[in-house]
Amino acid sequence: MIIFSERVNGMYRDVRAAIKDRDKEVIHRLAEEQLDGGADVIDLNIGPVKGDAVDHFIWLAQTVHEITDKPLSLDSAKAKLLVEVVPKVHEALPDTKLVINSCTAAAEYMDKLLPIAAAAGASIIGLTMDQDGVPGNVEKRIECGATFLMSAIENGISPDDIYLDPITLPINAAFKQQENVVEAIRQLALVNDPPPKFIIGLSNVSTKCLMNKLLNRTFLVMCLTAGLNAAIVDAADKDLVEAMITAEVLLGKHLYSDDYVKAWRIQKGLSVSDEATTQTAQTQ
Amino acid sequence: MTLPEAKEKWSGQINTVTIGATKTEGGTRGRTVTVGGQTGIPLLSFDGQTPHPAVIAIDVVDKEPVDWAKPLAEVYADVWSDPAAWAGRAKELGADLINLRLTGTHPDEGDRSPDEAAQTVRAVLEAVDLPLIIWGCDEPAKDQLVMPKVAEAAQGENCLLGAATEDDYRTIAAAAQAYGHKLIALAPCDINKQKQVNILISDTGFALEDLVIYPTTASLGYGMEYIYSILERGRLAALSGDRLMAQPVILDVGYEAWRAKEARTGDEVADAWGPVAQRGPAWEAVTATDLIQGGADILVLRHPAVIEAVRKVIAQFQATGS
Repeated sequence: MIIFSERVNGMYRDVRAAIKDRDKEVIHRLAEEQLDGGADVIDLNIGPVKGDAVDHFIWLAQTVHEITDKPLSLDSAKAKLLVEVVPKVHEALPDTKLVINSCTAAAEYMDKLLPIAAAAGASIIGLTMDQDGVPGNVEKRIECGATFLMSAIENGISPDDIYLDPITLPINAAFKQQENVVEAIRQLALVNDPPPKFIIGLSNVSTKCLMNKLLNRTFLVMCLTAGLNAAIVDAADKDLVEAMITAEVLLGKHLYSDDYVKAWRIQKGLSVSDEATTQTAQTQ
Repeated sequence: MTLPEAKEKWSGQINTVTIGATKTEGGTRGRTVTVGGQTGIPLLSFDGQTPHPAVIAIDVVDKEPVDWAKPLAEVYADVWSDPAAWAGRAKELGADLINLRLTGTHPDEGDRSPDEAAQTVRAVLEAVDLPLIIWGCDEPAKDQLVMPKVAEAAQGENCLLGAATEDDYRTIAAAAQAYGHKLIALAPCDINKQKQVNILISDTGFALEDLVIYPTTASLGYGMEYIYSILERGRLAALSGDRLMAQPVILDVGYEAWRAKEARTGDEVADAWGPVAQRGPAWEAVTATDLIQGGADILVLRHPAVIEAVRKVIAQFQATGS
């Protein structure tokens, strides 16, 4: 699974303060933690911080790029802002793969953002919603997903660069919607060949829930069985990442070995020195 | 009707491993042998490249065999009391590498000392200039004493040492690393264990790129298909990007094939089974050529007719594959 880090987000107070004060150290430390947890893409969201949003984005992207060459996801619900930010970040960091997070299946949004993605060679996340808002069922999610996919391909974006996000809602506010997300992934994967990638904003499922981490990792595993390819998560949540690896092993995505978590970290070139091997653990 | 494109898009490839060191590389070998590097399913040229075709290692034992079948005795009996002379014979027969077994160090097989084993290795190195594969006696307690000595005696020659297992990997990995050798990682017919052994060896600081894996071997009629399917699964995992399974493979074909009663039983059954002089080599050759198609990189062989036949088959596979 492609791990998008959710942590460099202005919704967190420390990140908001760091953006405001241009404090690189805080951003570097958070990004390092996410990378060491296995993050493949760093999602950047400036949150509700005051000042020039475009400047904030460029500073944040350049600051994270100082410690990693990994792709950066530019996260905003404002299409107008993304239209301005994406070309500028692409110009500042021409060798960095960008992901536009996100666009809806409403024509007004797609007309603005799909050409921007194509021009920057960026990936793009399409939400399975349109001008009528978040669908309450599976059918409308599939309809919006198909519309977005078709439009993106027509704009010259490769299926490899297209993510569909069936929109995760909190369990304490939206009953039955989680099941719809799983089913939408399953059905959209079935009808499209080659299928696009599927992504969810995982933490949405547990917003303001007491057992948020347990909810997150359980829902992630459910979505993985349906065909999920990516998720925006806290990569420093070890239990979450290990549940993901375990699900992938059980789904046959990785060859099993007794130390399969460690194997996953070795594959990704992550540090393993602090982790005891299974064998050592058994003999102690 | 056009056929659909069957080519896969692989993200991984098999490591290349070089065995032996020439004078300029700090050793005394006449040449080196490189295996691995495949970028697709074995021998399917449309799927990927096979830059280094399978190579042949010929068995040399440090002690006169007591149970080798007649067709093998006819070839080696005049040299098998002297490993150096035996290695010379192996070179004459066209070996790419010498596969030296230190069987005589086993407590029940003569219990030769680590120093004696080191002397044997030095004698073989002096007798022939081919790269060397060196195995212990498969008795872990003894191998832990013998292999470091042997590794030291062959320092600079970039040999391939065998074998590290799930239970015994630290000493031999440390010896291989200290004296600059490659290492065989062994897991008996179990792909999940194979990956685990590779993780454990990697934990010691030994590079995954310096490993050759040995899933053990089974001959025709004795479970060859299990080994074949392990080769297939391992290769598919490696090509899909599993770095822990991206090692070239060594298979001990000669030893396993000649253990089969169909190969070794003498001419008392010739009426029903045919003469052992044909039957034995055929058993070894069929096992070898099948396993090459599963992706074997180093084949340990015994009979001259098999060596010749397998050479031809490898050349044919390469010709049709290019």
